[in-house]
Amino acid sequence: MIDALPVVLNINGLKYEFEVLPYRSLLDVLRDELGLTGTKECCAVGECGACTVHFDGRSINACLMLAIEADGGSVTTIEGIAPPGEMTRVQDAFLEHGAVQCGFCIPGMVMSAEYLLARNPHPTEEETREGLSGNLCRCGGYNRMLQAISSVSEESTP
Amino acid sequence: MTASQIGSSTRRFGGYERVTGSQEFVADLRLDGMLFVKLVSIDCARARIVSVDTSAARGLAGVVAVVTSDDLPQPVPRFGPVYKDRPILAVGETKYHGEPVAAVVAESKEVAEVAASLVAIQFEELPAVFTVASALNPLSPLVQEPELRSAGTLASTNVLSEQVFGWGDLGATEADLVIENDYCFPMVTHFAIEPHGCMVVSSSGGFEVWSPVQHPYLLQAILADLFDLPLTRVRVVAPDPGGAFGGKQNPKFEPLLCFLARMTNRPVRLILTLEESFQATRRTSAEIHIRSGFSRDGLLCFQDIESNFLLGAYADIAGRVVSKSNYLGCGPYRTPVAKIRARALLSHTTPSCAFRGFGTPQVAWALESQMDAAARHLGIDGLQIRLMNLAAKGEDVVPGDVPADGEWAQSVQKAASAVGWGEPLEPNHGRGIAVGIKSGATTGLSYSTIRLLFDGSVTIYAGTSDMGQGARTIFAQIVSDELGVPIEQIDVVMGDTSVVPFDLQTSASRSTVFMGNAILDACRDIQLQVRELAAELHGTALENVRIVAGGVFISEVKVSIPEVVQASLGRLRGELIGNGTMRRTDIANHPLGGRPAFFEFNCTAFEVGVDVETGEVSVIKHVSVGDTGKSLNPLQVEMQDEGAAIMGLGHTMMEHVILDESGRIANLGALDYRIPTSKDLPLSLSTYSIENADGPGPYGSKGVSEGAILCTAPAFASAVTEATGVVIRNLPLTPERVWRAIRDGASDSSTVEQV
Amino acid sequence: MKPFLYQRPGSLAQTFDLLSEYGSSARILAGGTDLIVGLRQQSVDASVLVDIKGIGEFLPEVAFADGHFVIGATTDISRVCENEKFRATFPALVEAMETVGSVQIRNRATLVGNVCNASPAADTVPPLAIYGAMVNVGGRDGTRQVPVQEFIRGPRQTALRPGEFVLSVQLPVPNAPLGVAFARLTRRRGVDLATVNLSCSIDSVGTVRFAFGAVGPRLVLGIERSGVLADSGAPAGDRDAALANLIAATSPRTDIRGTQDYRSAMLLVLSRRILAEAAGRLDSGQP
Repeated sequence: MIDALPVVLNINGLKYEFEVLPYRSLLDVLRDELGLTGTKECCAVGECGACTVHFDGRSINACLMLAIEADGGSVTTIEGIAPPGEMTRVQDAFLEHGAVQCGFCIPGMVMSAEYLLARNPHPTEEETREGLSGNLCRCGGYNRMLQAISSVSEESTP
Repeated sequence: MTASQIGSSTRRFGGYERVTGSQEFVADLRLDGMLFVKLVSIDCARARIVSVDTSAARGLAGVVAVVTSDDLPQPVPRFGPVYKDRPILAVGETKYHGEPVAAVVAESKEVAEVAASLVAIQFEELPAVFTVASALNPLSPLVQEPELRSAGTLASTNVLSEQVFGWGDLGATEADLVIENDYCFPMVTHFAIEPHGCMVVSSSGGFEVWSPVQHPYLLQAILADLFDLPLTRVRVVAPDPGGAFGGKQNPKFEPLLCFLARMTNRPVRLILTLEESFQATRRTSAEIHIRSGFSRDGLLCFQDIESNFLLGAYADIAGRVVSKSNYLGCGPYRTPVAKIRARALLSHTTPSCAFRGFGTPQVAWALESQMDAAARHLGIDGLQIRLMNLAAKGEDVVPGDVPADGEWAQSVQKAASAVGWGEPLEPNHGRGIAVGIKSGATTGLSYSTIRLLFDGSVTIYAGTSDMGQGARTIFAQIVSDELGVPIEQIDVVMGDTSVVPFDLQTSASRSTVFMGNAILDACRDIQLQVRELAAELHGTALENVRIVAGGVFISEVKVSIPEVVQASLGRLRGELIGNGTMRRTDIANHPLGGRPAFFEFNCTAFEVGVDVETGEVSVIKHVSVGDTGKSLNPLQVEMQDEGAAIMGLGHTMMEHVILDESGRIANLGALDYRIPTSKDLPLSLSTYSIENADGPGPYGSKGVSEGAILCTAPAFASAVTEATGVVIRNLPLTPERVWRAIRDGASDSSTVEQV
Repeated sequence: MKPFLYQRPGSLAQTFDLLSEYGSSARILAGGTDLIVGLRQQSVDASVLVDIKGIGEFLPEVAFADGHFVIGATTDISRVCENEKFRATFPALVEAMETVGSVQIRNRATLVGNVCNASPAADTVPPLAIYGAMVNVGGRDGTRQVPVQEFIRGPRQTALRPGEFVLSVQLPVPNAPLGVAFARLTRRRGVDLATVNLSCSIDSVGTVRFAFGAVGPRLVLGIERSGVLADSGAPAGDRDAALANLIAATSPRTDIRGTQDYRSAMLLVLSRRILAEAAGRLDSGQP
């Protein structure tokens, strides 16, 4: 019998204290235990990026991190990037430019786009392509995503 | 009065939910007390199941049940959209890699996984059929027992069906040039980012089922039939699919889950892994032998096509994939004489089903590559040979059936100019162009109900699945214009068979045309009721009340529809209910059961650059032009067209399911099955629509969303040929395949008869 | 994932204690991007994961001392790539590191983990070998250094002995002008595993070194001192013959990523290209 271990996590600005089984991924805990289902699961091997969240300010695949590893850290999920009822400029631009089709990849894609722009507010197209290449979109919305990110980049002061 | 919605790029309904993560896909839903199901399969394709030892799994704490086919009603029930051939769990032997032999039901996902690994299955590998050649060989083992098949001579073969289409006397037809070749289109997988899954609650003698299925009413009917229940006892809730592309049309594990829910008397949930989704369904692969006859000046004389499509172990809807695509096997051309023999072959592989394009990309790969081969032999331009053979509007493509329904040459000219056809090229660069047509839905039935509430807001009920195409948005745009209601005051309810009226299915790019027309019809119903109310209010005759562009005109007085409803029904808080229908009935003796409602026509063109030392291809320009009739929402049309284009690039450049010698999928999962990423997007991707308002849908629209995948491969391959001189007839054109062709100097190897 | 225990030691000593307590059923967890996949796909078995990210001795993350860069076992690839001095010193290694997985993967995956995973296709290994990287292996009895190409002994096999784990990878700053280049071939442009990867260096006396990955059970190294490869004016046939001679030591196999003959042919094509690139870097004074 393997015991659950205590963790303290800051998620979207709120402090959570709970116990986790050591073999549960951060993704499973976010979705199944905390009800934060905006982060999606597809490949479970770090290839599709549907589970992208920010851990201590850096984008990661939540499927490849154990929840216990995150102890003491801070996690931002798609639910935490804008107040309820509002959208970030990236989210708004994704809709304006038609980047959203089925929508299953979109939370992860938005998290990658936010991370890219936070580190590099004026990425070249090549940098944007690289920044999104860990996120698969089977609806093929990449062209629109590049346009959306470019429009956000142009709005911000160089 | 609101500005016209039709023709404007209204934002996606459900877009906010999708960008914020609040859109609830099936895996995001939780049912109280639910149990977790894990499927158990073996590491082999076809095998005799010698024994299944479930004791260790049953002994694990938290395991509620471990079920094999022995635990199911006998004989084990079978189901399918056309043939009832798929068992709930494998019976006696497995028929393909990944077919579930047992199912574990447990209190948690982890326990279910561990228990599944403890189910000990002894099996003995059996000889099997994995290829077209083997499926056609009379000495090969049978995939399906003859007693499962409908009576007839084919029952004791692996041929599910064989059809011959055609016209004219092939034997009496002469041509100056005959080109003969074989083409292969491999197995590819849908790879929706949302893996398949479902949940079931067994209650009050029936079931509630949550499944992101494209055809909720078909699932409802199949479950009612399996369990001998009235339709009203099966409620299917269909959350919006997170991508489907044809792969989520038909039931897969919902019947199993119903049995498990009944056995355990608890809600059950199954969410497949991506690997299991690969094993659940795929595109039908094809080998096509084709002889094409041309006159000296490039006019088509005949097509003689033999198509062998390799289905999986169960038929699903793949027989229809074969017949519908091959029926239009001669493409959008005037073809004086044609013979098309199309076989659907069973094999011990993943059951294949619908996949965007519904067989047309396979057929177009062969047909369009032939056009280029002929052009090369005759010294004609790839653009010219297409323009000279393309059916003009009103000309037959299949004699006696619906003639060409669009000004297709306009699309071709647009694509040619956008790709820079004829302009100088850098070394090792090339351009290619190709066309494709797919039959829209043939028969079908869609109903819609619209409620116009007393405050002027509207609820639309439509049984379509909004799986990325944005159907909600289109429907709301139609109603906004027809009833003069602002788009923000419209709600669209879908995906619940207990609430929403029947719709046949969400497939074949049909929803804008079929459901769109049903909605238009429902709007007309409401408009008539509004006119009656307005006439009553103003004490005038019905014929004095007109509705124009969503406004009500009583003689010279103009009011809005919501104002009439408010005035007439507001005190009692009443509403108007409109019903609409779109029905296309069967045509007896038509090979497809009915005529195409429309053609989806596309022209795709490429400029590529080839690294001739490594075989890597850079896509410089990718152009897609669709004949949309009328783009009701131009942004959504472009999104879907680009999406189909990128998906087409996938099967053109990198995607193929690789089987090992035991029929196991060797590249099972995201690590070794590659789909395009943002870095694989062409340097320039552009799409255009030709709009002549000549479609059967609302405002002259036609279906879109599949066009740009129809002829991606031949257009791309033609560009690679121009860049390198080599001709490749097997997909995908991986760097290695291109390199090998260049190394081997694989110039056009067509068998050519020149008279 | 099958259940396992989790330990997060605070010091090296505690880590060695855990490794001796659990023996071969313990696995070191740093970035986890390969380990978690292995556990989930049940290709790796572990009864306990020893998370070394709490070990105080591992800071700072990219250290420079005595003419060496030292990359600790918990330093993720992105952090290494962000170090400007490191980038300027080892450009070909940085190029290789930037092809590992995606942004999300590189934010977790460690350089040491890429070495310890001992995949024949690991992209960082050829340039690490070319730059003369040493693996610092820690054990209860002290530390030993193993050249990276000797550390990886075959697919999923390393020179680690029971109770040991890798503390860091160490790279000497080249003490003489050196041009180094890296290349790989993949099936698509986005995130992919290499069909072949390779790196080479050229120095000012004309010595050329090559390292070839994914074309044998372990890294294949070659050295060419005749000067023909350094002489861009030498007949192309002679230069190709010299490259072919080096490539002859590889033993590529056919698998789902590529066939044996394609891999062989690509080694020659890419060798020519990176040799030219390395020579250009030598001329321009880049390492």
